[in-house]
Amino acid sequence: MQNGYAGKFLDVDLTSGVCSSFTIDEARLKKFIGGSSLAASLYLERFDLQADPLSAENPLMVMNGPMVGSGFPGSSRFAMAAKSPQTGIWGEAACGGNFGPELKRAGYDGIVITGKSPHPVILSITNNQAQLDSAADCWGKDIYETTDLLKAVDKNIKVLAIGPAGENRVKFSSIGNDKAHFIGRTGLGAVMGSKNLKAITARGNQAPGKVNEEKYKAIFKTAIAEIKDSAFAESLHLMGSDAAMDLGMMTGDVPIKNWSVGEDFELSSRLSGPTLTETYLTKAHACSNCPVACKRVVIVKDGPYRTEEGPGPEYETCCTFGTMIMNGDLAAVIKANELCNRYGMDTISAGAVVAVAMELSEKGIISAAAADNLNLAWGNMETVMTLLGKIARREGFGDILANGSVSAATHFGADAIDYVAHVKGLDLPMHDPRGFHGMGLAYMMSNRGACHLQHAAMGMEQGMVSWPQLFAMQEDYDGKTSQGKAQLVFDSENYGILGNSLSLCHYLLYCLKPETVRDAFNAITGFDFEFNDLLICGARDWTLKRGINNLLGITVKDDVLPKKVLTALADGAGAGSVPDMQLLRDEYYAIRGLTPEGLVSKKKLRELGLEELTDKLYQ
Amino acid sequence: MATYNAFTQEWLDAWKQKIAESQEYKEIAKDWEGSVALICNADPSKNVPNPVYLFTDYWHGDVRDFLVCDEAKAQTGKFIMTGDYARWKQVAKKELDATKALMQGKLKLKGDLTYVVRNVKTINKVIDLLTEVNTVWPDDV
Repeated sequence: MQNGYAGKFLDVDLTSGVCSSFTIDEARLKKFIGGSSLAASLYLERFDLQADPLSAENPLMVMNGPMVGSGFPGSSRFAMAAKSPQTGIWGEAACGGNFGPELKRAGYDGIVITGKSPHPVILSITNNQAQLDSAADCWGKDIYETTDLLKAVDKNIKVLAIGPAGENRVKFSSIGNDKAHFIGRTGLGAVMGSKNLKAITARGNQAPGKVNEEKYKAIFKTAIAEIKDSAFAESLHLMGSDAAMDLGMMTGDVPIKNWSVGEDFELSSRLSGPTLTETYLTKAHACSNCPVACKRVVIVKDGPYRTEEGPGPEYETCCTFGTMIMNGDLAAVIKANELCNRYGMDTISAGAVVAVAMELSEKGIISAAAADNLNLAWGNMETVMTLLGKIARREGFGDILANGSVSAATHFGADAIDYVAHVKGLDLPMHDPRGFHGMGLAYMMSNRGACHLQHAAMGMEQGMVSWPQLFAMQEDYDGKTSQGKAQLVFDSENYGILGNSLSLCHYLLYCLKPETVRDAFNAITGFDFEFNDLLICGARDWTLKRGINNLLGITVKDDVLPKKVLTALADGAGAGSVPDMQLLRDEYYAIRGLTPEGLVSKKKLRELGLEELTDKLYQ
Repeated sequence: MATYNAFTQEWLDAWKQKIAESQEYKEIAKDWEGSVALICNADPSKNVPNPVYLFTDYWHGDVRDFLVCDEAKAQTGKFIMTGDYARWKQVAKKELDATKALMQGKLKLKGDLTYVVRNVKTINKVIDLLTEVNTVWPDDV
């Protein structure tokens, strides 16, 4: 454990109950680094890509990067990956918290889980040992209750757990880390549930080493100084990610009324980061070793939406359960967030499917009877609270919505699908491509479906970062043009995606100079990478996942934006503007080396050393 | 149309007048309270031999003192924004958004960032109105 890596990975076969370990050679680590990139490499090598996402044959992977556990700011993130039950293609999600560092202290860089347990189990990992224990006491309980039960036995363990939604295979189920951090996107909680795996716990005391401790100490000091000097970090600390709400409403970033309204300053004022800070915030909370502390801890002390003190909503959640459904009651957003956390559901997709249901009801596509006679009027938060429970338990109308917005729209027929904002089956995050065309392209091309975290397009296009040392950048981009955005997205992917393989928080990527990130990575691993080496790893990561998706049937036909965001808004900063999808895609394909059919080209695969994919794609 | 040399009292007065005449500003800024000091670092290569200190004061949609001042007065501002000449010129000409400049570290803010975020529309409007002042910049002379 001298180079940031623990040196081994845990293999768990839930069908047989056998746990073993394996290693990965340094050459492969240098190619894929870690996190979801390494997971994709293992997935391609070892598994049947055509397996049903909820079958025993679909692996669920937990992956650290080499910086996890180092103590470097923002290095607590870990990735989880599997074929997604929500989209049917490559699925991954990451979160901060404390599980990743603890897994490394327990002796593992990652876990590969296959098979299906005959009964509900908990995977317990302690200092190089893994065992499966009965989850009979926890099954049926929500994420908070499960975490409390497990920590009552040993308060020092770190917990990953699913709630009723994961058990019931809700297609957008999440996985919670210690009640405060969530693997939200692409429905990986359902994969865990399908394996009868209720929770994973980790406990260890082996501090990961660094190749160059002295150099690392100096870089660490530089990083802390850069964070102290960063207005972006300060805004995150003071207001959390929801600091973006006020500015976003002004610039056309915030979606309203299921993507149909362009501006509502009254709503944003009631739902913004400053308002949250002034009303319900009790304290800021940090992931392991992070000085930024962007997480919100909140409480609603009384009224119909009373909550216990716990994790507060992110910006995305303030949109999905706020602006998207025309709700300006921040207490209700906090309650919806708490319910999603407890049931174990992604707050983006849960809110998005509710917004779609409300609009379909308004248009008469969903009848009152079909909706179990729930009042689906915009902003009816009583209905929202009821509906979240019905979705998690798959009851009645909730069972239809539990399959996700695309499936629900297909169920209701007519032109219902036109009311769903998704790419490749994943609901759009809460950033409107009509205000920022580059984000539209990033959504189109993200490998897990519409995503704001597989790249740094938002930071670059919205002007939060300036990285002239990495690539040619404008200081101030016009969001409402598609010209030049293909290059921006390409560059932003190659650097931003590294957050997922290094396991470094995207916010910290934004706060720190790239040379500080590179030098810390080198001091820990001893790899001696230049910027270009890192950017090639980023390009390889993107290309590998695209190739996997090609094998799963993804082609040019899937690289499209939904009708919702190709319809111009009448008001707001994005009024009259829609992304030029053809221009964006054509330019991007040329830069990325995709064939006109959307396949990764042989030439690009050879350039990036992905010959194993060449054999499978072009046999 | 009259032109004004940047960073002079006449230039500040013209800017103040633009703001005072704007009904839209009055509405947007109805909740804003307090002064903003603007500090431009010296840049002899751009004909800015010494630091420039400006004091601008706003109160619920009205404008109060707009002064070229000394460092001591600037330090009394409720908010103090500091940056290099080239950055200020970019911001004043709307070539670089003020919020982006702040996030990228090209301008530094001393003061309550939460208040600024909540009132970002006010700040943008004040800068919009500055672009309406016909300005001669020191390095354009």
